[in-house]
Amino acid sequence: MNYEHCIRCTICVENCPVFRVNPDFPGPKQAGPDAQRFRSAREKAQDEWVLLCSQCKRCEMACPCGVEPAQIILREQQRYGKEHQQTPAHLLFANNYYLSALGSLTAPLANFIAETRTGKFIFRKMGISTHLPFPEFRFRKMSREKKRLSRNARKAAFFYGCFINFYRPDIGRKIIQLLSTLNVDVVLPPQWCCGLPALGNGNLALAKYFAQKNASSLSDYIDAGYDIIYSCTSCGLCLTRDYPGILDIPQGRKIAESSYDLHEYILKLINEGYAKPQFGTVRRHIAYHIPCHLRALGIGYPLERIMAGIPGLKFEILDDACCGLSGSYGFKKENATAAIQIGSRAVSFIQKTGAESIVADCGSCRMQLGGLSGMPAFDPAEILCESLGITLEK
Amino acid sequence: MSVTEYDVVIIGAGVAGLTAGALLAGRGLKVALVTKGEPTACLSTGGIDVCSRHENPLPGIQGLPPEHPYHLVSEEVIRQSLHDFQAAMADAHLPYCGGVEKNRSILSALGTSKISCLVPSTMAAAPRNTTESIHIITFKGLKDFYPGYIVSRRRNTKFSVYDAGVSTTMSLASRFEEKEFLETFLPWMENLNIKEDRIAFPAVLGLESAAEIVRTISMRAGKPVFEIPTIPPSMPGRRLFNALKKNFRQKGGTIYWAWPVVSTEKTGSVVEAVTTVSAGRPNSINARAFILSTGSFVGGGLTATRQTILENVFHLPVHIPGARETWFDNDYFSLNHGIGKAGILADQSMRPTGADWKNVFVCGSILANTEILKNGCGHGLALATANAAAQSCAEYLSDEL
Repeated sequence: MNYEHCIRCTICVENCPVFRVNPDFPGPKQAGPDAQRFRSAREKAQDEWVLLCSQCKRCEMACPCGVEPAQIILREQQRYGKEHQQTPAHLLFANNYYLSALGSLTAPLANFIAETRTGKFIFRKMGISTHLPFPEFRFRKMSREKKRLSRNARKAAFFYGCFINFYRPDIGRKIIQLLSTLNVDVVLPPQWCCGLPALGNGNLALAKYFAQKNASSLSDYIDAGYDIIYSCTSCGLCLTRDYPGILDIPQGRKIAESSYDLHEYILKLINEGYAKPQFGTVRRHIAYHIPCHLRALGIGYPLERIMAGIPGLKFEILDDACCGLSGSYGFKKENATAAIQIGSRAVSFIQKTGAESIVADCGSCRMQLGGLSGMPAFDPAEILCESLGITLEK
Repeated sequence: MSVTEYDVVIIGAGVAGLTAGALLAGRGLKVALVTKGEPTACLSTGGIDVCSRHENPLPGIQGLPPEHPYHLVSEEVIRQSLHDFQAAMADAHLPYCGGVEKNRSILSALGTSKISCLVPSTMAAAPRNTTESIHIITFKGLKDFYPGYIVSRRRNTKFSVYDAGVSTTMSLASRFEEKEFLETFLPWMENLNIKEDRIAFPAVLGLESAAEIVRTISMRAGKPVFEIPTIPPSMPGRRLFNALKKNFRQKGGTIYWAWPVVSTEKTGSVVEAVTTVSAGRPNSINARAFILSTGSFVGGGLTATRQTILENVFHLPVHIPGARETWFDNDYFSLNHGIGKAGILADQSMRPTGADWKNVFVCGSILANTEILKNGCGHGLALATANAAAQSCAEYLSDEL
C-alpha cells in the first residue's frame, strides 16, 4: 500500500503520541502520506520535522487502509539524515553500539562519569537530555556468557540485543536458564547492534552495515536448524520487518520467518506440548505495559496468555499509551519534553490500576516508566523465573 | 506458522465486532478479535443512531423496506441491545442518555440539529428548541471547528475564544485531562460572566474522563454544559471505541491489532481457521465459529472494482444493488446512492445466504440493504445485529458440543 491509499480519515492522528503533545509535529497523516505527495527524489529533503516522529508505529497499527505512515516517515528520515549535517546527539545514538561497548569495557569509570555533574553537563551540551538516569554499564557483558547445550530437540540462537548486553546481562542469563529449563538448547551467536538506533537517527548506511553482519551470522544458525529468539521487541521488529524491508538484506526474509519473540516461543512450546512448565505462585499485582513495538510485531500479546497460567498473579494490560522514550528518541534534548509528557500519561494509566509494579518487554519502556513513576519495573523473564523458581547461578 | 485455538474469532473491531465479542466472552467462551486497523466508529460523533429519519426509532424501523436487516432482529433484541450497551458504557465511565422510545437532537458543528437515539452524557444538555440562548467557548487556532457557522444559523448565540496554547482537538483533549489546566481555564470562564442559558464546547473536553470534566465545568458555571461533535479526529468517537474495547477486554476477550486476514481454511461446510500476516510468519487462528463484522467500504469489509463488489475475508457472495450505472446518484449529497444497498445478505440466524458456511455469522454495516446514511441507523443496527449474531453463534456452539 502506498500513500495514494490514504483516505485522510485521521485515525492515525488520533493514535499519534507525539502529535498530542508537540505542536511542531504535524502528525502522521501530514508528515507521511500528505507530505509525500509533494516530495521529489530530485529535490533536497526539507521536512526537518520528520525527525520529531518517534517511530512508535502506532499509526500503522491503526490505519484501516494499510498505508503505513511511519514507514513513509522513516524513509524520509533516512533521506533527511543523508542530506543534512547530523547533530552530535544523532551521531552518538546512531553509534550507540560502539559507545556502549566502550562504556562496558570501562564500566566503573564510565558509570561514575555519567553520574557526575560534569558528565551531565557534557551530555546536555551535546543535546542529550538527563531527565532519566542513564542506564548503568555492566562490566560482565552478555556476549561473554556460555552456551547451554544438552542435545535437546529444540535449538535456539538468542539475539539478546544491546540493552541486555551492556546494561542488564543478568536478565539475559535468566533467559538462558529459563529456556534451558524448558529443554531448549541455547547458543549466543556472534551479533552486533540490530541497526534500529542507526535507522532511528537517520543513518541508513550504518544500519545496513550492522544488519548485514547480523544477517550473515544468524543465517548460518538458521541453516543449522536453530530458531532465532529475541527478547527485545524493538530488535525483533527490526529483524523481522526492516531487514527484509527498508534495509533490503538478502537473507532478510529467511530471518523474519525464523525469528520468534521469547514469549511467543515459550507459548509455542507449551501449546505444542513440548514443554510443560510448572508455574508456581507469584503474589504480585502488576501493570503490564505493552511496548508499541510488541503491538507492531503483530504476534498478539503472548505473555498475557503465559501469565494467565501463573497462580496468584494479578495483572492488567495497558496498550493505549506509549511510554514516550522510544529508545534514544526521548534522550534527545529537542524531544525530552514531549517524551516526559507522553510518558506521564502512560504512568497515570498505570497508577490508576493500583498495581505495585510494572512489567514491560522493552528495556527502554521500563527505564522511562520506572524513572517517571518511581515504581519497580521488571522484565517479564524475571516474573517467569520467579514463578518457576529459577535463580541465577553464579 | 504459529497456530492458536479459540472458540470464536471476530473479524473487525467496530461497534458490532466488539459488542458481539463482549457478549460471547461474557458467556465464558474463548474469544479473539482480529482487526486490520481501527474502526470507522472512531470517526463518528459517538451518538448511537437507531433510526434517525423518523421521529421515534421503533415505528421508524417498522417503516423500513422489508429487505432491511433490522427486520432480521426482533424488537426485543433491539431493546435489549441498547439496554446492554448503556449499562456497559456506564461501567466504562462513558454514560449514554436517552432511550429507544424517542429520538433526541444534538447540536451539530454547522448549527443544525442532528437526530440520534442514545447520546453521550456530554452532549445531552444540547438545547431542545431554537429560542434558548447559547454561549460557545472555542479555542484559539482550532481549525476543525468554526463557531461562526452556528452563530449565523442560530439566534441568541455568542462565542468566546480561549487560548489553550494548543490548537488541535487531540491536544486540547489531553490538556483538559490535566488538573492544572482546568484550574487556569475555569477562572477565565467565570470572568466571562456568561448570561446565556447554556454553554457549548467543541467536543474536546477530555478523552478518558469527559463525563466528569463536563460535570465539573457545569457545576462551576452553574449552567448546563454540552459538547458539539467535530469533524475527525473525533474525540467522542474515540471515547466510544475505547470504552467498547475496555468492555470487551474486561469480559475476557483478546484483541490482535493489525492482523489483516489473508486467507481462510475450510473443510466441507465449516470454516476452520483464518490466516493473518504479521512481521515474519503467517499466523493461523483456529476457531469453532467466526463472526464477520468488517464494515462496508470505508471500514474495509467490501471492495468495489469497476465491474463488481467483493467481500474481502471469506469471499462471500455480495448483494449488488444493480448495474454499475445505478450505484451512484448524480447528486452527490443525495441519500439515494444505490451502492448503499450493497453488502452481504443474511438469514434470521445471521448466517450469510448463498454460502454454505455453518459457522460464519455476519453483523454490522457489512450487511446488505442497510442504507445507513439514508436511514440514520449505523451504530444502532450494529448493536442489534451484533446481539443477534452472538446469540445465534452461541446456540450453534452449544448444539455442536
